[in-house]
Amino acid sequence: MSTHALVNNIDHKDLKIITERSAEYGDNIWYSMTFPMEFRSIQAYYPIFFLKDANTGHFFSTAIFGFTEQENLFLVDKKWDAAYVPLSVQRQPFLIGVQNITEDGIQKQHRVLQIDLNNPKVNTSEGEALFLEFGGNTPYLDNAADVLETLHHGVEDDKVFVETLLEHNLLESFNLDVELNDRSKHQMIGFYTINEDKLKELSSDVLKSLHDKNYMQAIYMAIASQSNIRDLLNRKNRLMNL
Amino acid sequence: MNKPLKKIIIVGGGSAGWLTAGIIAAEHLVDDSSLEIILIESPDVPTVGVGEGTWPSMRNSLKKMGIKESDFLLACDASFKQGSKFSGWKNNNSQSDDNYYHPFSLPHGYNDINLAEFWQPFREQVSFANAVTTQSYICDLGLAPKQISTAQYSFNNNYGYHLDAGKFSQFLQQHCISKLGVKHVRDHVININSAENGDIASLTTKLTGDITGDLFIDCSGGASLLLGKHFNVPLVDKSSILFNNAAMALHLPYPEENSPISSHTLSTAQSAGWIWDIGLTSRRGVGHTYSSAHTDHDSAEKALRQYITPTVGKKLAESIAIKKIAVEPSHRKEFWHKNCVAVGMSAGFIEPLEASSLALVELSAKMISEQLPANRKIMDIIAKRFNDKFLRHWQKIIDFLKLHYVLSDRVDSSYWLDHRNPSSIPDSLQEQLNLWQYQSPYHYDNDSVDELFPSASMQYILYGMGFVTENIKNTKRINQSNLAEQLFKENAQRSQQLASILSSNRALIDKIEQFGLPKI
Repeated sequence: MSTHALVNNIDHKDLKIITERSAEYGDNIWYSMTFPMEFRSIQAYYPIFFLKDANTGHFFSTAIFGFTEQENLFLVDKKWDAAYVPLSVQRQPFLIGVQNITEDGIQKQHRVLQIDLNNPKVNTSEGEALFLEFGGNTPYLDNAADVLETLHHGVEDDKVFVETLLEHNLLESFNLDVELNDRSKHQMIGFYTINEDKLKELSSDVLKSLHDKNYMQAIYMAIASQSNIRDLLNRKNRLMNL
Repeated sequence: MNKPLKKIIIVGGGSAGWLTAGIIAAEHLVDDSSLEIILIESPDVPTVGVGEGTWPSMRNSLKKMGIKESDFLLACDASFKQGSKFSGWKNNNSQSDDNYYHPFSLPHGYNDINLAEFWQPFREQVSFANAVTTQSYICDLGLAPKQISTAQYSFNNNYGYHLDAGKFSQFLQQHCISKLGVKHVRDHVININSAENGDIASLTTKLTGDITGDLFIDCSGGASLLLGKHFNVPLVDKSSILFNNAAMALHLPYPEENSPISSHTLSTAQSAGWIWDIGLTSRRGVGHTYSSAHTDHDSAEKALRQYITPTVGKKLAESIAIKKIAVEPSHRKEFWHKNCVAVGMSAGFIEPLEASSLALVELSAKMISEQLPANRKIMDIIAKRFNDKFLRHWQKIIDFLKLHYVLSDRVDSSYWLDHRNPSSIPDSLQEQLNLWQYQSPYHYDNDSVDELFPSASMQYILYGMGFVTENIKNTKRINQSNLAEQLFKENAQRSQQLASILSSNRALIDKIEQFGLPKI
């Protein structure tokens, strides 16, 4: 069970966040969500695929780190072995909460910074502090808030993006069959990718509308990112001394 | 005679009419120059509003019409139906477990192996349905056939629907008019005008005047305005085989807003008929169909009210309004006559035991649509094929429904005894029963590709009812018992696995309301 609390400089004045990356601290995830505006950075290292949320059935964009559950091939020597760490990973252990407030008699919602107190990275002895001695935010906390803000807008845009892909039948399911150097075979199922045949058939009107939303770039970034499967495979072979 | 067929007139605006219109319009380009479809619906005639169970075939029909499954589910208060459960059909002995399922999913590995043969030695340990499919187990747990992340119309377990028939016609009507180009005329047909060759030339309506057409589809229900009244095509009475000729129905509220929704139709045998129990999202639909030769209206009503008492309480059970429906177990001697074809109750009606009526509508509309005669000259050839095919369908339905009765051991009323009287059993069914004593139904029991009931359905009823197929000595070179054992094991594992990932029927419907179902 996670316990979410509104970050404040009274209850949380002594909290620190461990920045080491390892399974011990919950980084053994084999994918994480991403969004079109992040695709340029993501596609430099990770394959981008689309997955369905098991709770809602809605699609979302993901960056892939491994071939099976709990396998993150970028965790090396307690570090993340890539120059860019996806924002949805960077944000841990923070998250966005929604607070209802009344301003001039009008009900409004605004976003607040929350922390998951059960996250193993949260402690009081080592890592980055949240607050300065007299209660001001550390640059670390300010950065976390910025990350979450970007992530929030990214997620909203990703919803529109995948809806648009679905509308034009641009998603297709695929099974990824990989073969390691020892000839052992693995299959990843439940992933979706860009349907390139359908992409070629799009009318100029549709292409224009996708382009105007900057989605054409995202689509091609996603397609190009598939070459990173090879890199994942190499990492896996190395890990297994194959 | 060579004039191209360009104008189809459908008479009747119930489920049959709109479903037929939708199926034809989804396949053909409908506009004024190529094909015109006009549906005439009398504002004076209410629809029957029963027929609330569908087959899995409905998924395909809706999909082809371009309907989003979530839209349909929510608009029609529909829920998922994974088959039927029969209670009290074997011996009505409260000491024994007198229940069995006819699930929609085929036995595991059905194309490769006939598991029924291998199940026989274990008949005392595990029910046939539980041994060969996960679906009966899933139904017992009240779970859904799919997950929220399963694409629309796809499934973990095969399913059809329970739906509100009135809302279904409304929903289809709107879709047919706004998306598929079907024209809607709300008017009363007052006269049928003949052409020289005996065809229907036009229909005279009260307000709109004469409406001409090339093909007339009679979806006017029991009234059978065109095929029955105008052409006098006679009914073939089937009440000597299937006795139920009366029905009464009622709508029941759920005790609570989030009461469980059953994922199967429950059919409970009575002393002179049986009671259906169908769970929609908004209410239950319950009804008693019975033989008026074996009981009277008052006793049938009493049995129905008694049936609902445990779930809704005595007060409501005794006061709730009941709607009476007269049915004649029969079908027309032919269904396509000259330039008129009947679809739905105008073609015939047999008790709803296996919810075959909407399935027959779909199948009829599909054949009309796919075989749509190019002109009048070839229409008679297609009419003949249509008649041959549907006469065979009716015969198969009648045999299959009768099968449910002849295997019973009930001795508590003349109804059940009469059902086992050899004179009431069609020769075609008797022949199959003789065969099945020594071999299980399998692919050879189906002789056409669009067979209504697959041989698997016959297995579920036979072995659910306790029928014994003698195991003759196995002389085959290849022993499949290892494969059978593996499939039984896999099925048991999959049952547990599915039970852990599927939510309840109600929970899934609630989620669909919130999130919709994914397109892929």
